[in-house]
Order: sequence, then C-alpha cells, then structure tokens
Amino acid sequence: MVSFMDVINRALTGPYYSEKDYNLKVFVPKLREIVQKYEIKCNPKAVIPSDDDLADRVFKAGVELYANVGTYCVDTQRIIQFTEAEIREALATAPSAPIFGEGKEAKALVARKPESNIPPWCFLGACGAAVSSEEIFKSIMQGYGEISFADSITAPSLATLNGTPVQAGSPLEILACIESVVLTRDGLRKAGRPGLPVMNSIATAVSDAGKIAGSQFGLRPSDGWLIGPMAEMKVNYERLNEIAYVTSLGGHIVVDASPMLGGYCGGPEGAAVTNVAYHIQAILVFRGSCHASFPIHLRTSCSTDRGTLWIISVSTQGIARNSHFPLLDISIMGAGPETEMEFYENAACVIGAVVSGSAGVESPGGAKNAVIDHLSPMISKWTAEVAHAAIGMKRTKANEIVNVLLPKYENNLDKPPEGKRYQDCYNIKTLEPSKEYRTLYEKAKKELTDYGLKFKY
Amino acid sequence: MGKEAIFENLFNAIVDISEERVEKAANELVKGKIDPLEGIEKGLSKGMEVIGERFEKLEIYLPELIMAGDVFNSAMEILEPEILARGKSVAKKGTIVIGTAKGDIHEIGKDIVAMLLKTAGFEVHNIGKDVPTPTFLQEAEKAKADIIGVSALLTTTLLGQKNLIDLLRETGKRNRYIVMVGGGPTSQDWADKIGADGYGVTAKEAVSVALKLISQKRA
Repeated sequence: MVSFMDVINRALTGPYYSEKDYNLKVFVPKLREIVQKYEIKCNPKAVIPSDDDLADRVFKAGVELYANVGTYCVDTQRIIQFTEAEIREALATAPSAPIFGEGKEAKALVARKPESNIPPWCFLGACGAAVSSEEIFKSIMQGYGEISFADSITAPSLATLNGTPVQAGSPLEILACIESVVLTRDGLRKAGRPGLPVMNSIATAVSDAGKIAGSQFGLRPSDGWLIGPMAEMKVNYERLNEIAYVTSLGGHIVVDASPMLGGYCGGPEGAAVTNVAYHIQAILVFRGSCHASFPIHLRTSCSTDRGTLWIISVSTQGIARNSHFPLLDISIMGAGPETEMEFYENAACVIGAVVSGSAGVESPGGAKNAVIDHLSPMISKWTAEVAHAAIGMKRTKANEIVNVLLPKYENNLDKPPEGKRYQDCYNIKTLEPSKEYRTLYEKAKKELTDYGLKFKY
Repeated sequence: MGKEAIFENLFNAIVDISEERVEKAANELVKGKIDPLEGIEKGLSKGMEVIGERFEKLEIYLPELIMAGDVFNSAMEILEPEILARGKSVAKKGTIVIGTAKGDIHEIGKDIVAMLLKTAGFEVHNIGKDVPTPTFLQEAEKAKADIIGVSALLTTTLLGQKNLIDLLRETGKRNRYIVMVGGGPTSQDWADKIGADGYGVTAKEAVSVALKLISQKRA
C-alpha cells in the first residue's frame, strides 16, 4: 500500500487548486457525474433498501469518485491523489480484524455483511459531547463502563477545569486533555473494566498538541485514536501530525467522517457515494484501523431523518458487501435524555445500521451532541440492546419498523426536545436513572418488541 | 426591451443560476440607461430571495447557493461602474465582519450566513476560520463594521464569542458594534448569557436578525 511518507509527499506536490475551486470545479461536478453514471437514486420509502445491486453501484461510484477527487490538503492547497490500482490495493490489504482493548477486554472488531448473524461491536458512550465538570465526567464514564454490552467506550469532552471554562488552543486545553484521560481511565477502573478500549481518544482535544500531550497520561496503542477529515474530503496538517504520531506509536486510528446531506455532496445520493470515498480515504490517508461514519443533515445537524438514514443504510451495505475494512455507524440524534423521541431516533438509526452490515454502532450524546451535560448511559444501553435485538433481521423487516418509527419524530427534527441534563435524570453518585427515565425506557422497549424486535432479555 | 422585462430576465437568470444570461441582462440594462439600483432591487435581490428560500427547504444544495452568489456578483461587476457613473452608490444595509472563533476550523455554516448576508445587501468581510479574538476587533475597526459575527461549532471554541464581548467591554467599544453569534452549540440562552445582541438558529434567521438589529441601531 502507498506509504504514509508518500501521502505526505503528495500533499506537498499534488495538483494545486484553491479551496473554492476544489469544492466547485473538482469535487461537485465529478460527484454529480458519477451519481448519474451509476444511476443512483434515493427512494424515501425504502429507507433501508434491499437492493444489492444498488449497494454495489454506490460502492463502485465511491471508488471512482475517490480516484478522481482524492483528498484536498488545506494547508498546501494541493490534492493528494491515488490511482484506482492503489485504491484496489488499499482495499485488499486494509486491516480486517483489529484488536482493541487490554486483558480480558481485548477483542477483535470484525466487518459484518448485511443481515449478518455476527453481533455488532457496541462502542458506547458520550461520542464527544461536552460535560460541565470533572465529577460528571467520571460518573458518566463509570456508567458507560458498567453496561455489559459495551465492547468499547467513547468519552465526553471536558468543558471546565476546576471551574474554569476550557478554551481551545490555550494551555487549558492541554491540561483538560490530560485530565480527561485520567478521569476516563479512573471511571473505567471503578466500573471494574480497566481494559476497555477508549474509541475516541480525547474528545476534549481540538488541537494536535492537545491530543498528543493528553495521550501521555494513560491512552494506549490498543485504544482507538479518533482522527477525522474536514467536509468534504479534506485534511489539514494538524490531523496529518496526529496520524504521524499515532502510526509511529503503533496505535489504532479510528477515522470518523461525516458527509453532509445538503452541503457539497448535494442530495442523499451524493452523500452516500461520498461516504464510500471517505471509507477509502480512511485507509490510505488516515491509516485507519476502522472507519466510523456519521452522515449528517445540513439543516438539522442530525442523522435520523429519512434521507440520512437512507445514506447510512445504502453506503453501509455497499461497503459491507465490498470491503473487509470495518465500518462503524454513529447516530446523532436531535432529542436529548429522558424523551421518547430519543429512543425512537436512536432505534431507527441503529436498526438500519445493524441490518445493513455495519461492523458496529456507536451510541451518541443527545440533543445533537451540542448541549452541555445532555447525555446519559441509558441511551447507550438502549443502543446496545437494540443493536443486539436486530442481529439477523432481514432488511425488509427493518425497513417496515423504521417506517413506523419515522412518523413518530420526523416532523420534530427542526425543533427537537433537548431533554434533561445527566444530573437531572440520574443520581450521579449511585448511577441510578430516575424512575421516569426507567419507565420511558421500558415503554419504548415494549413498543419495539411489539414491532418485531427480539430483545435478549 | 422594456425595463420590466429586463428585471424579469435578471431575476430568472439568478433563479436558474445562469452567469451568461445574467451578464446579458445586466448589459441590456446598462445599454437601456435603466437605473441599475432598480435592477438590483427588482431583479437580482428578488432572485436571491428565492434561492435562499429554496436552499432553506433543501430544494437546492450548497453548491447551487454558492454558484447563485457568484452569478449575483457577475451582474454586480457590470452594474457597479454604472451606479458610480450616476454619482450614486449601492445602498448597503450595513457592514459585517464575520469569522469562526479561535481553535475552530468549521466554516460551512458561517460561509452560508456570509453569502446570504451579502446578497441581502450587506458589505461582508469574511475573515475565515480559527480567528483570534483581537483579530475580530481589528478587522471590524478596519472595515468600519456595524456588526461582528462570531461562529463556533465546539463547546470549547464557544468561549471565543464571550471573549470578544468581554474585549469590547474592556476597550470601551461595546456600544460601537452589534455582536451576533451562531453555530451548533450556540443558543438564545447562551447569547443572552454572554450579552450578545443577536442569534439565529438558521442562516436565514441570522439574516433577518441582522436586518432587524441594524434598523434598530439606525433608528
């Protein structure tokens, strides 16, 4: 496979374009041409399509797109290009079963096929959503660690340090990154699972310096070091610096990427094809051990609307059928903790991902991951229970269920309920959810059982 | 060709995103000695309103929005010399300096707001991403801005919005500028808490708020 040194050299010597020209003269026209060529069309009623040929066309289109548009380096304003032969080689030699975690928690993350009977990897946690204090951080980490289904966890970002707001790019960021790692490990130790891998490294880190400095205080090569591109198909030196560090350390890079419905990708068809291109970019440029995808809607900033659910399903199917490089799917929900809508949105996303062949699912924070303290272990537990209940389900059945769930919330996506803060729906000392939250959970579980989901208990 | 037909051609060229047609219509307007300011108001701006509404509903996507903005600019390049020759100027709604806070490299949302503000008649100085707090003030002074807009997508970069307001207070310049904030983790509550003047959930709303705040300031 093309070496990382080659990638850097291409960032320095590739074709020069202004960023606007890359967006509008390279990426957009080529994507539109390819979407037409492969006759990719979204059917909003078949949110979870069962069309293998469509999935394969989306994959082929993504390969062709990446061979034509490459990755744009914003610092050099040059395109890092790869030939189709180099892309084929990368797909053939990409990691297929990376082992994350330590001791008894060490486990291989394996790719799955659509309608697979293999249990999906559950990476549960905060998905980087912000918490207001060290106390909340540690409590919620312990809460995530105590979920039996957790194969790995994701940590929140720390918004304050000793009561002082943390400012990106300042020394406070470095100190908060260090504190985040210490609190993460301590929370997992208290949960009795010190070997659980952290799959989003340090969410508090905005800068490369923050991530690298913080990692010295307890991050391990067997964790997942989250590094992602910028929309669409772009990278900068800071991210390349992180890749240089983690690859030299022998660590696992988890590459998160977010094609945007309504942005430069255009409609759902373009975003689905771009998601495949991100998959390849994750191997070649980001040197990933797996790809974590979260397509998102430009206006709602969520991934649970009809169009985005289709993007997730069809691109996951295309990738699962044609690549052994593991793909994880993340759902960003509009609604927050202790709301009915939170359960419906998350179920729609998780069911779609699992039956489409996702290697695993990530539970999110709530309220678009944008409101401080609006996250809870309860929704992570829900993600895992739904994911396991959807194992082996046919895509047609999943489509039926998701089409029942969507009308329950889709009209509220423009103004979703924020829900409650963690400390308002949980006892943060005992880690017990409120009675009201437990009742909502059981109600949602019963409802989903009635729709045909087979929960494990 | 009558002036109403030319206005309609300007409008349609924007809505259909045709640089060739907008240039043709703008040249016809100049040739016909029609008031270019009327052409902007009744043709180009009305067309951009339709583009903005279509984008809001995602009937069109970001590339179309940007390309329509470019078409608008092409027409303005033809009309502006004519406006100056008549001893007039484009009545701008106000001047805004807009950027993304220090540490934050997200800018698609901010760029959309900048474009809609420009086509709504504002003079826009888009100073990019990862902008240090003092730079907002320096650029605002240089541009003689009415509004400073600070975007942030991350909780830890949100503070850049508060820092600017604090800096304006410290330097005794708070009353000189309208400060608007926006971005994913921003809310009306946050805007109120830090003492910002305006906040918009969507790009379209941000433009409405900017127009309202400017007219209040000038009143």
